[in-house]
Amino acid sequence: MSTTDLSTLISRIDFAWITTFHILYPPLTIGLAMLLFFAEWRWMRSDDEGWYRLCRFFERLFIVNFGAGVATGVTMEMAFGILYGPFSQAAGPFFGQILGYETITAFMYEAGFIGLMIFGWGRIGRRMHLFATANVAISSALSAMWILDANSWMQSPAGVELKNGVFQVVDWSKAIFNPHFMSAFPHMLIACVELSLAFVAAVAAWFVFKRRHVALFQRPLKLSILALIVVAALQVWVGDELGQVTAETQPAALAAMEGHYDTYNADGSANTSWNVVGWPNEAGDGNAWSIQIPHVLSLLETHSWSEPVPGLNEFPQDEQPPVAPTFYSFRLMVAVGGVLLLLGLWGGWLAVRGKLSIDRIADNRWFLKAVMAAGVLPYLAVWTGWWTREIARQPWVVYGLMRTEDGVSQMSPELAIFWFVGFAVFETAVFFGTLYFMAKICRKGPDLDTPVAAFDPHDNDGATPATHPEGRGASDRHGDGHHDAPSHA
Amino acid sequence: MAILSLSQQVLALAWWLALGVSVLIYIALDGADLGAGIFSLFVRDHDERGAIMTAMAGTWDANETWLIVAGGILFGTFPFVYGSAFSYLMVPLAFVLWGIIARAIALEFRHLASPFWQRFSDGVFGLGSLTVTFFGGVCVGAVLQGYPQTDVEGRVPTYVGGAFTFLSPFSVWVGVASVVAVTLAGVLFVRARFEKGEPIRIDAAKWTMTIFYLAIAAVGITTLWSALIFPWAADKWFGAHFWIWGLLFVASVFAIARMRRATLDERDLAAILWFNTAAVIMGFGMLATMFPYLVPGTWTIFDAASPQVSILTFTMTMGGFVPVMILYNAYQIWVFRARVTKLAAHAH
Ligand code: HDD
Ligand code: HEM
Ligand code: HEM
Repeated sequence: MSTTDLSTLISRIDFAWITTFHILYPPLTIGLAMLLFFAEWRWMRSDDEGWYRLCRFFERLFIVNFGAGVATGVTMEMAFGILYGPFSQAAGPFFGQILGYETITAFMYEAGFIGLMIFGWGRIGRRMHLFATANVAISSALSAMWILDANSWMQSPAGVELKNGVFQVVDWSKAIFNPHFMSAFPHMLIACVELSLAFVAAVAAWFVFKRRHVALFQRPLKLSILALIVVAALQVWVGDELGQVTAETQPAALAAMEGHYDTYNADGSANTSWNVVGWPNEAGDGNAWSIQIPHVLSLLETHSWSEPVPGLNEFPQDEQPPVAPTFYSFRLMVAVGGVLLLLGLWGGWLAVRGKLSIDRIADNRWFLKAVMAAGVLPYLAVWTGWWTREIARQPWVVYGLMRTEDGVSQMSPELAIFWFVGFAVFETAVFFGTLYFMAKICRKGPDLDTPVAAFDPHDNDGATPATHPEGRGASDRHGDGHHDAPSHA
Repeated sequence: MAILSLSQQVLALAWWLALGVSVLIYIALDGADLGAGIFSLFVRDHDERGAIMTAMAGTWDANETWLIVAGGILFGTFPFVYGSAFSYLMVPLAFVLWGIIARAIALEFRHLASPFWQRFSDGVFGLGSLTVTFFGGVCVGAVLQGYPQTDVEGRVPTYVGGAFTFLSPFSVWVGVASVVAVTLAGVLFVRARFEKGEPIRIDAAKWTMTIFYLAIAAVGITTLWSALIFPWAADKWFGAHFWIWGLLFVASVFAIARMRRATLDERDLAAILWFNTAAVIMGFGMLATMFPYLVPGTWTIFDAASPQVSILTFTMTMGGFVPVMILYNAYQIWVFRARVTKLAAHAH
């Protein structure tokens, strides 16, 4: 391997690493913001304090996650220019423009409300607070939309022309509404909701399992599990749609995802077999072994009994993506999708038989264990989904138009390693920090004692409520015995 | 490299101004947070350090977002600079990013940590702030120097220098100078954010004058040095229109004098505003000096602009979205405006 190949490889691993670590946090930010909005809205409508306590408790988890998302996200925006300079220059007119909108219409938007949502309790009115929460949810979903748009365009680059080494947009609406976007964005958004439901359910199940605050946590547990039935089913359907789009726009990617080499069998009939598992052979022109089911591939990709699906051998060797990682990542994601649906159905069945009521819910030991374990599954699906998507696009950075090695910045292997080590250290620290603090918040449990944050328009000079969260007593800002809204739990 | 129509050239100019404004707002808002972080390195009281973080808890993310916005504009409208300058600045930017990550984590996690880890996270917060400021300044200095690029007919020029081309006495000096200037912003921020009787505020007040004179020296040296090594700067400053630069100079001296007066009178908000006024005048002076270059000697605004700049997108963002967002951001700052006490260290 030459040194440029080596540094290209390291830059790619660098980029893969930072996206992989960033994507851990945004989905929860997006989905949980929606769920927080729901809980807060219920509280407004019903004045049921339970919703308020839940809001405040899950919000603390939200904050930790959000901080980690910002810390790893700022890196992302700079990373394109640093690691993929030539790609950024060439794709800038479209890709950069889209990310530029994202920063303005999503991050700036979100930043205008997040402080109000987190620290505004008791300092702004209830309606204003609900409004802030709603805007956090909308703006973070908007950011997912722009990002998915930019990334989808890399998968199916429509509406552009390559002139003087620059992608010039000839048709904005084609470029923005590119084929991948229309399925990939819904798929991602649903993934965010699904992940957050599973997360909330897992946390709630833990409390119920420990028989702590069962009455409080029965509610989110039951509701999220029931919602999961719908959302998980929807995800399987939208995932299938996305698979169709990939089959049409990136046949080589799809072939790699399915480990499908030969379009036709030796006897000239279409090869319709779907590989359940398998492993590519040394020569890279077929599977060394595999377990196959006939007709399933055609059913999945063309929704027909025996239409041919183009195999990898139709493409020149240097235009084939790596098979093993895409094949297995894809299967993992799909498996998770199935398992989550089953979990939802299990919960639905328990609910129908009345077993999820407050006094009986804690007795479903196996179910609770399963829900807790399932908390990590959507994270796994998000990772493997992205790996599938990104690796199956190879060797292209902009599918069919620009190869990855032409888009990557030229740097020495030493420099590439310097970067990689730095980010590996920081992002691993962020990851374990997030885990540790989330666990700590859960161990401590919800705060049920601090009075509900009340908004007093006459005392709204914007003070930071000086309250010890540990309940060591509210301190007093004015020193005159007047208590500020003791809102920080 | 791209051939822009006249209206596109105007738009490129408008985006260039928007870029300059974002960077300046970023410096004004996050400069205070960064400076307070550097100041916290010298604060010995544990709860006081916590209170500094609490003072910015509701707004630091929004402040930092202006940097992201600047990056977004750069990528969206000046992709050729984004792609080449960031390769050039890779090493200092890596440090800036690590500093940002470290600060964000320290800010968000501190209140959850045990006292030992709090002390650790305080250190991380202070050093992170220092790192971001120093290397951010190095980046600015390095950009002023320009950088080497490929020159192939029909291809976009890309960066060709090494990883350490950015390093020079001048760029390092700009890093140092920005640490000094930002510390001044931080001290002013601490003064404005704490109750008048708080010991930390009294400490900050003691610092002010020393830092103030250091900052003036730093700015003066940077200006002189630039005049010496950058012909594009000297030509403008001492050229036919020298009186314009003279006026800008007088204006900034005036703002600085007002700032000094305001600090002496304990009018904290006025001091910050005058400080920012001075920074804005100097910032715009620098942008105007560089004109028509975005990166001196390397990219002019018009060469660097995307061939896709269009009136529609500009109007949408600048006419509709940005003003609304600025209102919300201002509202947020307003809600969190009150002074804090050291006891607020744990609130979250
Ligand atoms: C599914 C949605 C999604 C995806 C695929 C990505 N992000 Fe992200 N990102 C978000 C959704 C998000 C978010 C939910 O909006 C975050 C998390 C915390 C936050 O502040 O916003 C965020 C944070 C975040 C930040 C910090 C913003 C701030 O300071 O508030 C930046 C600069 C980026 N991201 C940039 C990127 C880039 C360049 C990506 C391309 C690979 C990317 N993100 C993938
Ligand atoms: C808008 C979102 C994204 C964009 C624009 C994007 C862009 C890119 C680019 C330019 C590359 C370099 C080409 C290469 O070396 O493969 C890449 C690679 C990669 N990205 Fe993404 N990415 C995005 C999101 C993600 C996310 C969220 C993940 C993971 C969770 C991810 C995982 C990867 C991986 C694993 C690779 C390496 C593939 C390989 O080199 O074989 N990407 N992506
Ligand atoms: C059985 C159900 C599922 C199917 C059939 C499916 C299908 C797909 C397909 C075809 C891709 C695109 C690969 C490419 O673009 O080349 C993808 C990507 C992805 N999947 Fe799934 N998926 C399923 C379940 C899930 C679940 C449960 C999650 C997360 C909770 C998830 C998260 C993702 C993500 C984050 C991506 C990458 C971004 C994107 O393309 O939108 N998927 N999926």
